[in-house]
Amino acid sequence: MGIILFIGVFMSLESLRIRWERFWDTIVQPTFYNRVLLGLRNTLIIAFVGFLIGFLLGAILSIFKLLPQDKKSSKVFGTISNIYVAIFRGTPIVVQLLVAYYFLLPLFGITASGMSVSVVIFGLNSAAYMCEILRGGILSVDNGQMEAGRSLGFNYLQTMFRIVLPQAIKNILPTLGNELITLVKETSVVSFVGAVDLFTAFQFIGSSNYEYMIPYLMMAVIYIVMVVILTVVIRLIERRLRASDRR
Amino acid sequence: MIDVKNIYKKFGHLEVLKGVSCKIEKGEKIVIIGPSGSGKSTLLRCMNLLEKPTYGEVWLEGSLLTPIDPYLHFDVIRKSKTYGMLLEKYKSENPDADEEKADAEIIAEIKKNDLLKKREGKAYRQAIEALYKENHVNINAVRQKMGMVFQQFNLFPHLTVMQNITLAPTKLKKIPAEQAQEKALALLRKIGLEDKANVYPSTLSGGQKQRIAIVRALAMEPDVMLFDEPTSALDPEMVGEVLKVMIDLAKEGMTMVVVTHEMGFAKEVATKVLFMDDGVIKEANEPKEFFANPQDPRLKDFLSKVL
Ligand SMILES: Nc1ncnc2c1ncn2[C@@H]1O[C@H](COP(=O)(O)OP(=O)(O)O)[C@@H](O)[C@H]1O
Ligand SMILES: [Mg+2]
Repeated sequence: MGIILFIGVFMSLESLRIRWERFWDTIVQPTFYNRVLLGLRNTLIIAFVGFLIGFLLGAILSIFKLLPQDKKSSKVFGTISNIYVAIFRGTPIVVQLLVAYYFLLPLFGITASGMSVSVVIFGLNSAAYMCEILRGGILSVDNGQMEAGRSLGFNYLQTMFRIVLPQAIKNILPTLGNELITLVKETSVVSFVGAVDLFTAFQFIGSSNYEYMIPYLMMAVIYIVMVVILTVVIRLIERRLRASDRR
Repeated sequence: MIDVKNIYKKFGHLEVLKGVSCKIEKGEKIVIIGPSGSGKSTLLRCMNLLEKPTYGEVWLEGSLLTPIDPYLHFDVIRKSKTYGMLLEKYKSENPDADEEKADAEIIAEIKKNDLLKKREGKAYRQAIEALYKENHVNINAVRQKMGMVFQQFNLFPHLTVMQNITLAPTKLKKIPAEQAQEKALALLRKIGLEDKANVYPSTLSGGQKQRIAIVRALAMEPDVMLFDEPTSALDPEMVGEVLKVMIDLAKEGMTMVVVTHEMGFAKEVATKVLFMDDGVIKEANEPKEFFANPQDPRLKDFLSKVL
């Protein structure tokens, strides 16, 4: 009985070894490892540029929502922001990518690569989430800060950018980190519009010899490594910022 | 300097100020006392428009901060459709009544029933707009001339003490950084906190925070300083150090409006003491008379509890 089990484990380990060797033989070839590097690069570009666009646009949208409600124009801005968030949070990002790439681009006669569409859509999509995150952050800052700024003579936006937002961002740093990590992981759908990312790179390797097991396992490992590195970096930044509180 | 004209303030259905008027002249030190919830903070905050009065006007040195309140400008009311209609009706009913009496009665009726909320004619709108254009000023510019000190200090926690003080002068008045810092240091020296210039507010005691909040407002060289219970959030042993800074400021001739429960401060510094109760100023007098010979029964009651 024990011997059979032993042989079974041995054989599957043996087949794993063979599969690994096949994978290794493929990935050392420039066509393949270059594809992986390109995928990695694209994944990071989409996630980070998307994050940046999302942050800036999200900040604007959240301020639209929080403008003092004493002017008619504030209500218009607030509504714009609400509609925006409803659209981009209400549909899956894959759908947004497909609509942008296969419907909007031809409609307006624009030619753009799947990669650039992905960057833009990830930015726009993330902005909807960032808007809500930032709104929460801004509301977490005591109203006395706004009043103190206004009483010195700063107008609403000056006070917002110089006094309230810096404190809000500090408060929401962990959530922002989460958002970045989510973006990195979500990039795995950009192959729907023909952009090369980690998924397409490893799929390419797998399809070259019909051996998918190891490539997909390696893909998972790369994602985990990226996320762990990001987590550590975010922690460090957080600690730096918190340290300035106690100086 | 500050002229508060018949202001009302409603928060939803709650009427917090019910017709408050007061004039504050240059160099005066007005102390406002009264029970909690009587509208003292709201009145102070209406002076620099942190709250917008529902009715009434606030003027600073001849400039209007609030919108026009037609009930303070009868000549504007006379241009309204409502007034015209009422006048015709009045004349047809009392053909031989005298003009002045008619005018007074119609305005009284419009005021009593707040009839101006209905649609009014072009002449009325133009009159209001003209009056507003002629007198109003940008509130952000005005606030630079009105320093405010809050009960909860409201220092900016993400900036050092020095940055707290120099932020507004450098960004709003475009004073060169070095010059602003020198000025800030001089002010800090005066209150004995020069050594705290480069620390963050979280490391300071309440009394230190409040003194720095005062300095932050002073760095803008305001014409008037508003204080909203500046010592109420402090431990008792720190009240003195803050009051001392305020007394020194008063001696230097600063115009001040102070909401406080410190009766000693009122007696020593005030040129006039106001007693607020239930949204109105119930009594206003110079401090000696105010404390020695209170008239209003509510004030007598209040003083017997706090003195
Ligand atoms: N922003 C606000 N919204 C609603 N009610 C308010 C607001 N500010 C003050 N009030 C109410 O107005 C009343 C007077 O408040 P306040 O002016 O702070 O009184 P005081 O400073 O004399 O204690 C209180 O009943 C308070 O609850
Ligand atoms: Mg108060």
